[in-house]
Amino acid sequence: MNFRKNKSLFLFLLPGLILYTIFFIVPTVNALIYSFTDWDGISPEFNVVGIENYVQLVTNDSIFLKAFVNNIKFMLFVLIFQTLFSLIFAMFLIKNTKTNIFLRALYFFPTILSSVSVAFIWTFIYDPNMGMLNSVLSTLNLDFLQQNWLGNENIAIYSIAVTQVWFHTGQMLIIFVAGLQAIPKDLYEVADMEGAGRWSRFRFVTWPMIAPSATIVMAYTTIQSFKAFDLIFAMTRGGPNYSTEILATLIYSTAFRSFEFGYASAQSVLFMIVIAVITVIQFRLLRASRVQE
Amino acid sequence: MIRKLACVSTFALGALLAGCVGGTGGNSSSENGEEGTISFIHWRGEDKAVFDELISKFEEENPSINVDMTIYPSEQYQSTAQTTLRDGSTGDVFTSFPGSQLEIINKAGLFEDLSDEAFIDQYEPQLIESGQADGKQLAVPLQLVFNQPVYNKGIFEELGLEPATNWEDFLALCETLKEAGYTPIAFPGSDIGPGQFMNPMMMNNAPNEDVFDQLMAGEASLTDDWWVETLAQFKELNDKGYLNKDALGTNHSAAISQVASEEAAMLATGSHAMASIKEMNPEIELGLLAPITTTEEEAKWEGIHTTTFMLAVNANSEKKEAAKKFVAFLSETENAEQYANETSQHVTVKDVEYDSEELTSTSEWIDRNTRFQPRFLIPNADVEKAVISSIQSVLGGKSPEEAAKEAQQIVEQNL
Amino acid sequence: MKTIKYILVIAFALMVIIPLIAVIFTTFKSTAEVFSSILGLPESFRVDNYISIFVDQPMARYFMNSVIVTLFSVVFTLLFASLIAYAVTRMFGWIGVVFFSLFTFGMMVPAQVNMIPLYQLVFDLGLTNSLLGLILVNISVTMPVAIFILSGFMKSIPKSLFEAARIDGGSEWQMYRKIAIPLSMPSLAATAIFLFVMHWNDLLYPLLFITKNEYKTLPLALLEFQGEFATNYPMLFTGVIIASAPMVIAYLFLQRYFVAGITAGSVKG
Repeated sequence: MNFRKNKSLFLFLLPGLILYTIFFIVPTVNALIYSFTDWDGISPEFNVVGIENYVQLVTNDSIFLKAFVNNIKFMLFVLIFQTLFSLIFAMFLIKNTKTNIFLRALYFFPTILSSVSVAFIWTFIYDPNMGMLNSVLSTLNLDFLQQNWLGNENIAIYSIAVTQVWFHTGQMLIIFVAGLQAIPKDLYEVADMEGAGRWSRFRFVTWPMIAPSATIVMAYTTIQSFKAFDLIFAMTRGGPNYSTEILATLIYSTAFRSFEFGYASAQSVLFMIVIAVITVIQFRLLRASRVQE
Repeated sequence: MIRKLACVSTFALGALLAGCVGGTGGNSSSENGEEGTISFIHWRGEDKAVFDELISKFEEENPSINVDMTIYPSEQYQSTAQTTLRDGSTGDVFTSFPGSQLEIINKAGLFEDLSDEAFIDQYEPQLIESGQADGKQLAVPLQLVFNQPVYNKGIFEELGLEPATNWEDFLALCETLKEAGYTPIAFPGSDIGPGQFMNPMMMNNAPNEDVFDQLMAGEASLTDDWWVETLAQFKELNDKGYLNKDALGTNHSAAISQVASEEAAMLATGSHAMASIKEMNPEIELGLLAPITTTEEEAKWEGIHTTTFMLAVNANSEKKEAAKKFVAFLSETENAEQYANETSQHVTVKDVEYDSEELTSTSEWIDRNTRFQPRFLIPNADVEKAVISSIQSVLGGKSPEEAAKEAQQIVEQNL
Repeated sequence: MKTIKYILVIAFALMVIIPLIAVIFTTFKSTAEVFSSILGLPESFRVDNYISIFVDQPMARYFMNSVIVTLFSVVFTLLFASLIAYAVTRMFGWIGVVFFSLFTFGMMVPAQVNMIPLYQLVFDLGLTNSLLGLILVNISVTMPVAIFILSGFMKSIPKSLFEAARIDGGSEWQMYRKIAIPLSMPSLAATAIFLFVMHWNDLLYPLLFITKNEYKTLPLALLEFQGEFATNYPMLFTGVIIASAPMVIAYLFLQRYFVAGITAGSVKG
């Protein structure tokens, strides 16, 4: 054991750990305990029901399953496009010229806006009759592409995913910019001397060097898209016909609309397990992609 | 450079810590002198201006009491406000929705019993029943809303139309509107539309007011005629092109603007939307109607009403007397009248005179045979959502039978 | 290649600018105008909304509250998180991994679930209706993200630098201050921007803990424009525009540290 070597480092943990324990660990553990009860979230009394909530959740809750599937669709779409766009734009805008600094700030702007306003703007863009998207398509003579973007059960979740990508690409771009700028220039010089092409430069210099940023971006995007509560709630409230219900919106309505706080806690436990598993898988895959060469 | 940064950060830390401690001091010192401050929480952002006026008037009449008003959007109200009610520090006066929210707050024992308060007599007795439980008056609903379509009187007159008294006539009426180039019904299917329009659509298909209690007891099913028929009628309206195009992607604001611009003749939500339509088009003349989904003889109900925005006093409050004073103040005829006229809402208080055109023209509905909003009588929110989703599902193309079956499955998971 | 690059860059810029213009135009419109044409020019550029938002309510107060809460939350989250990130990347054996996991676990818990117990706790500590309470909770809930980002970057600092410092007799504190922090400036700046946005726009915790007008923050004040059935979008967006100004300033300020990152990065080679 290395406790001795670590001793002074424990002091570093202390201030944060104390706050984290009081204001995060304690309430979270409390919430977990409620998952074994039938508490409604407000009454003084409740009963302990053991694992009944979990049994119900796994065996007899079609909405939970539906929300889970929707969440995976949403997450994959956002993960792929948000990571791709933020990486591409970070590489385009890496030099600190005036234009690039301005564009990075511009791209970041949506992140600043509150989700209520983003939801409002995008409901207008997607409105089937007077919305911007359909009118633009019609001007371009692409009427056949017109859609009922938020009203069609099959595409609504992807429409919101597009909004989510728009909302947060600029934020992720910053992480990539920070990662790219930390790459020593001489690595590229070496690569150039060896006559590396554009792709090999990326594959053998850029990618291994920004893998830490990519890990951060992807893990964060995954978690963020699992928690994309505000946007979905403001745009569709999970509808039409549950087609945009995700786990976070479901947990919210279980807890505060149906007043089944105990059951909502059980849903949350499963939610956390899902995120944890996905995050660990991502870590593994990314590490593999880096080590391969 | 590193040293400089370290220097700066250490300095900033010190300053911030000092500031933080100072901040705490500031907080505790301001706790004094608010002996008479009561907290009033509600969800009506639209009513902020009139409440600001009423509160200053109240504070003038009662110099020892201050009212601190906090407004939450209705969704957040359900979650956060409820949480903060429990300790009695917030919401000395609070508001509640009828139905499941009233029930849960009652179960938690947070309602102060108002049965013996003198201000109860200010209200029309039959309009405050939604605030009663266990034989007590727990809260007094202030607003009276009609959850049935709003229609453009001008368009109806121009085409010589009258509100229909049976389903055949209603369809014919829609057809006439459609042929004249109007969208017969603007239906905001993406947000509140299904939850609002389901009420008049089902009221006569399931005239029994206990239908949702029976549903929860397993004695009725969504696959029974009353609901399948309702869904089929929704589908009929949509398939015949009587609802706006892509209704499922239309939100309330967009639907309102379709009615205000006189593109659409009816708005399938409720009387609460009249003020917004008027604001966008002051010239428009509006009335209320309800689709009768049966024959005239079978129709038991004429329309839908909801008494909501229920004023209540927190049982855990330390300032109950001041809180009751404030509720009594809002119940006074004069103040309720001001509230009604400035917000364009009907109220449940007696002898109120309405001065705006849309309120007077629709107040006949107060005396008509309307039914309390069935949706609020669904005791479980998951079931409510399943019911609403089945409407979206038929509009999305499913058959009524299938949509009803899927919804019933969710109901059974919640029994 | 160049052309594709320009097309993409410009396309995305337009996707941001057009809705942004819609937001700005909205602040000059009446509600009726907004719905008749969201993108159209306002009838006139009247500034009524901007004036009345300041006149009708103590905006300055809300603004100050937001500034205080955000600044303290960001600075302390960064400080504590960078200490922890440093510690977990430097710790030997599995202990570092355990602590790293413990903290990152915090990102995975949905806020809705611990909010009721959290409220109870904050209330019992007498910290409701206090900016201090808000700051403490903010720090605790955003620390995981910050630790996650910062430790990701700190891991990539070459171990040899620390070894060299250790041989010179440097303590952990000195290494943190003189190696880890300066080399992490770009990621610290990026994290700071994340935190700024999160704290500045945060609605959930102020909603939960603040009910007195004197402690309200900006997002909480903006809620009053949202009605049950009708929302006052022109006023709401005016508020959003005013509220975003400090974020732009914070962004531009922190942006400089990306430039600093290049110098720091080159030290390594």
